[in-house]
Amino acid sequence: METYISFAIAVLTAPLFPGIILKIKAFFAGKNGPPLLIKYYTLIKLLRKGSVYSTSTTFVFKLGPIVSFAAALTVLFFFPFAGLAPLLSFHGDVIVLFYIMGIGRFFTVIAALDTASPFEGMGAAREVFFSTLAEVTVFTVLILFYRINGSLSLNAYFTGEEPITLMGQSGALILLVIISMFMVLLAENSRVPVDDPATHLELTMIHEVMILDHSGPDLALIEMGAFLKLLFYSAFITQLIFPFTMLDGLASGVLFFGILSIVYVCVGITESIMARFRMDLVPKFILTSFALVFFAAILTMGVFQ
Amino acid sequence: MGRPGDTTLTIVLYDLIRRGMMDTFLLSLTVLLAGGLFALLTCKLFSLMKAGYITITAVGCMIGLYAITGPLQGGEIATYSISWLHIFTLSFSIDPLSAFFLIPIFTVCPLAALYSFHYMNKADQRLRVGVNFFFSTLLIVGMALVATAENIISFALVWEIMSLSSFLLVIYDHHEKDTRKAGYIYFIFTQAGAMFILSSLALAYSYTGSFSFSAFAEIPANIKIIVFFLALVGFGSKAGMFPLHMWLPHAHPAAPSNISAIMSGVMIKMGIYGIFRFYAALDTTELVFGEAVLTFGMVSGVLGVVYALGKHDLKKLLAYHSVENIGIILIGCGIGMIGMAEGNMAMASFGFAGSLLHVLNHSIFKSLLFLGAGVVLQKTGIRHIDQLGGIIKRMPTTGSTFLTGSISISGLPPFNGFVSEFLIYYGAFHGLRLSGSSFVFTMLAILSLAIIGGLAAACFTKVVGIVFLGEPRTDMTANVQEAGMSMTIPMVILAASCLVIGIFPAPFIHTAFMALKSIKPLVPVGAEEIALVTGNLAMAARLFLAVFLFSMLLRKVLYLRKTISHKPTWGCGFTQPTARMQYSGTSYAMSVVDFFRPFVRVKTRYSGINRIFPGRTTYTTKVEDISEIALVDHLAIPFLYFLRKLRWIQHGHIQLYIGYIIVAIVALLLFV
Repeated sequence: METYISFAIAVLTAPLFPGIILKIKAFFAGKNGPPLLIKYYTLIKLLRKGSVYSTSTTFVFKLGPIVSFAAALTVLFFFPFAGLAPLLSFHGDVIVLFYIMGIGRFFTVIAALDTASPFEGMGAAREVFFSTLAEVTVFTVLILFYRINGSLSLNAYFTGEEPITLMGQSGALILLVIISMFMVLLAENSRVPVDDPATHLELTMIHEVMILDHSGPDLALIEMGAFLKLLFYSAFITQLIFPFTMLDGLASGVLFFGILSIVYVCVGITESIMARFRMDLVPKFILTSFALVFFAAILTMGVFQ
Repeated sequence: MGRPGDTTLTIVLYDLIRRGMMDTFLLSLTVLLAGGLFALLTCKLFSLMKAGYITITAVGCMIGLYAITGPLQGGEIATYSISWLHIFTLSFSIDPLSAFFLIPIFTVCPLAALYSFHYMNKADQRLRVGVNFFFSTLLIVGMALVATAENIISFALVWEIMSLSSFLLVIYDHHEKDTRKAGYIYFIFTQAGAMFILSSLALAYSYTGSFSFSAFAEIPANIKIIVFFLALVGFGSKAGMFPLHMWLPHAHPAAPSNISAIMSGVMIKMGIYGIFRFYAALDTTELVFGEAVLTFGMVSGVLGVVYALGKHDLKKLLAYHSVENIGIILIGCGIGMIGMAEGNMAMASFGFAGSLLHVLNHSIFKSLLFLGAGVVLQKTGIRHIDQLGGIIKRMPTTGSTFLTGSISISGLPPFNGFVSEFLIYYGAFHGLRLSGSSFVFTMLAILSLAIIGGLAAACFTKVVGIVFLGEPRTDMTANVQEAGMSMTIPMVILAASCLVIGIFPAPFIHTAFMALKSIKPLVPVGAEEIALVTGNLAMAARLFLAVFLFSMLLRKVLYLRKTISHKPTWGCGFTQPTARMQYSGTSYAMSVVDFFRPFVRVKTRYSGINRIFPGRTTYTTKVEDISEIALVDHLAIPFLYFLRKLRWIQHGHIQLYIGYIIVAIVALLLFV
């Protein structure tokens, strides 16, 4: 029962947290900023509207939002929120999950190319390149986790007797993982310094330019998918910070969402104090995250044996 | 093979059943050959010839599939021998491994044959089409025999039948210079490869004195390594292993598309079969085999997909993807071999099984993609992807099946490519428990698989996006129509199989594990673990499909009573867009290709803008294969230089030529 509740809470609150980022950015800019629930209002507004479709597009364009939303939602079925057992889990599920996110991206990209817009093609090309690099970091993290506790599922990473956390036995390595997963979070969820959804120039965007032609409920599905994806990565980092299995029920839940908010605050701070990288610096940024975890993985060869 | 106490009758019956399997198999080959001869004899009556040939081929393959059901379920190994030229014995047998490689042969080939009904529609070339059909039959039979050959002599013989018939199929358009060149390159590679295989076989024979593969186990350990590596070079060149893959990007674009589908989908897998067969026969678990195969796999996989990104000829691009997929297959194989060497049977089982299943999966989606490319090529006459576009609106069936194939080849769930890649990952992760070099190798294998997966998705979004989506970039592309039924039906069947294997993987994974019985030292993991993994994989695929259908329904509900309008694409404020302004495949892939710069040579030619009123500016880029450059610069040119020095031997005087012969005979008589 707790499992279902935690899943439902996570999905329903996903649009809340990006509001925190906006608040933080507004704070740094010395403004009041939009209300905390702004993303809910946006979703409701979009759901009420109709859609305009480009005459160039085909059914692929309509599949894009559906698949990206479905992929983001499927992944959360396997996530142990606040150290509670997830709805589903099996040995090897992480590999499946990152590939399911892959099919979401595949359809977002081809939906963008379906519009025949040169700008959307440009965004698509960047998206596939950067996400490939980010995938390498993610798989190195999986390798490291397998070395640490021999498991291959989100459930086994974060629940049970010996969850993988900063407080655990190999905490020093986890620190590196947290940093590089945070970098991956920024890259995969189109945040500054990799991508800036708030600029006014389509030429400089990655993700936002790919969904230029989507409107109405289609756009709402994409946005919701993006919120869920951001939630997944933030929750992943949150789980790494603290072993929630130590506390029981309510306390762990409260603490989980507390730390989760802090992760979002960190995203907000990063966005406020940094500018977007030049496009050719982005691969270096992502490869830095890879270098960090690769180093950690190599360390397991000697130190922990 | 009666047990003591059996009555004579049971022994006879037992024998009959065992022989029956082999007889059915031989019957299927006979039927196939009859189909080829039928095509040759009736090529005057063009449509009848095609219909007859397709029917007979389909029937033959159906019988063949029936014949292998027994061995696939772990039945008795059937054998057939015949004496040849009085001194040699040709011997064929079907064990589970052979049977597994026969599946793609007997399923993909009839579909490619059906496709050729509308594809080979030039009645004025009827003789040539008939000859083409005959050699395709010979290729199918040759491949089936390669997969079943049981001794050295029969293997060498049928290997050559397969290679030569495929060469003759490649040069179908022999009046074109490019095709002849491609055929020539293929011929050199296939014969040089055969030379390595033959030398490996000869070396083995010199130690065993027996023609049988089963005698390979008796070779001394250090010689086994040489035998294996000689064979690896030969089989690698057939399979398209980097850097011996050079013939693929030449031969596939040159051959007709139904032939490319067979060659890329099925024939190159015979190289993989050879590697498996030799590994099983040599009965050794040296670590170096696994490390070498894995390294070749990683290099082929990553560079194959990078070159595919850089190439813009549709069929050339698909050819490089074959290199990539052979890389994935070899990675699985290498993981399996390392697992064997380290005694980690879970790693070995899942690595090998994933590798074998990927052989089957690749044969399905790659033939699908080649058939789709063939339709595009035939209807538009354009090979370069930057001149195509918007085809899915004009050819919905071809477009959506090609899209299905693209998702499958990118290894994304819930399609079949993911199933085999997952098994390889699963095996590789088991290997992470190892220490030292094996750990480093398995870690690199996992990272390569991740990179390959990402780049393959990048490349196929490029192909689908540029060729099938968007707006047509040329008039030729704008006016195309859907292909005939005989061409779309095979593609629909293949696309459906991609989804079926993805969602119901259990019987296919089970079959792959069955085939592992031929690798004797391997103790496969328990049936429960296989069932568990398979069940989980199927569950995840079905869950995703269910969530997808739910989201689709959700979207339907959200769009109830909404106004929908159609307008041109948002041009970001630009008011005069043209189709030529669309993003091109070249620019789409450039940043990735640039990233791999030292391993990929990119030649750029840019005229520049240098006056106040600039004239016509041109910009071209070309991605060149480093292994091709290395081969030409460091092997072919020095070799030619050396051979040129020997030109004086060829002077055109017949008397002196006769003199050579006499001297040679005398020398032979004296010294041998």
